[in-house]
Amino acid sequence: MAQFATLSHARMAWDGPVRAPEDVALDQTRELDQFLAGIERRAFRMAQVKLRDPDDALDVVQDAMLKLARNYAAKPSNEWRPLFYRILENGIRDLQRRRAVRKRLMAWVPGPQEDPEGESQDPIDSVAAGGPDAPEQLMQAEAMNKLEVSLRELPARQREAFMLRNFEGLDVAETAVAMGCSEGSVKTHYSRAVHALREQLGEVW
Amino acid sequence: MNEDSASRLEERSRRLFDDSVGSVDMRVRSRLTQARHAALEAAARPANHFLRFPLWTSAAGVTAAAVLGVAIWFGAPAGHHGMPVMETQSNLEDLDIVTASDESSGAPMEMLQDDIEFYDWAAAKTADAESGSVG
Repeated sequence: MAQFATLSHARMAWDGPVRAPEDVALDQTRELDQFLAGIERRAFRMAQVKLRDPDDALDVVQDAMLKLARNYAAKPSNEWRPLFYRILENGIRDLQRRRAVRKRLMAWVPGPQEDPEGESQDPIDSVAAGGPDAPEQLMQAEAMNKLEVSLRELPARQREAFMLRNFEGLDVAETAVAMGCSEGSVKTHYSRAVHALREQLGEVW
Repeated sequence: MNEDSASRLEERSRRLFDDSVGSVDMRVRSRLTQARHAALEAAARPANHFLRFPLWTSAAGVTAAAVLGVAIWFGAPAGHHGMPVMETQSNLEDLDIVTASDESSGAPMEMLQDDIEFYDWAAAKTADAESGSVG
């Protein structure tokens, strides 16, 4: 103990009793549970905006949760969010590629064509019938629908940057990790997205 | 487009998105909860390293087992692959003897009745010899 001049120095260097690995694992599971519970609905909505299908959105979110838990649970919890969104984005992109291939194949098959774009979806359907807040809800649903349509018209990287930065509140560095690009690119994509949305939605929106 | 307009758009779109998150229906919420529990179970489960071997390792294992099997088969001494010829013949002869029916022998009880005098004689001789040796 020659390295500690006083008892108080020794106490400062000691960082508490050693914890059992089971306790550490339990804490990590709890933390992961809280993280996923806090993010799951937002991730679902983001996937739904991009995929326009609730079941597909649920599938990609579920897949992203599994991959994060299996492969990155041991990482520091502050890294989970950008990693999760990166996995989610990859899943969405894969699904969109598969859809494109299926659409090309379906073009050769006679019979009723499916509606993968979901353009027939009416915002009024998503508003609960009746109630004193129904007109307000309807207006909100309509505004959200307009926003979703405009978001879909953006280039994929601009849409991604806007949703991660604005909807999810990721900072530039986290967004760069989630998108797998530089911070400078994130700033450019985001700025262009805001300008494009403003033009599409108009000043009155 | 001025800064004010941009920030208004950002703020409004964020609020709309938050509202839409709040109105996610119960069916979706329930499925998300199930998905979360499945993910947590997957994280808690220890990785099965055996199942995580790449495909080529199992293919190599099967090939190695096949090569070993062939080597054992062809490397064994001749005549060990099945029953030797001589042994087979001997067994067949034994079977013949067992199954053959001797015309003169008849049933076991009949044979005993035919030679009953011989057995009496043999028993008497044995008794004499034993008494002689004792006396």
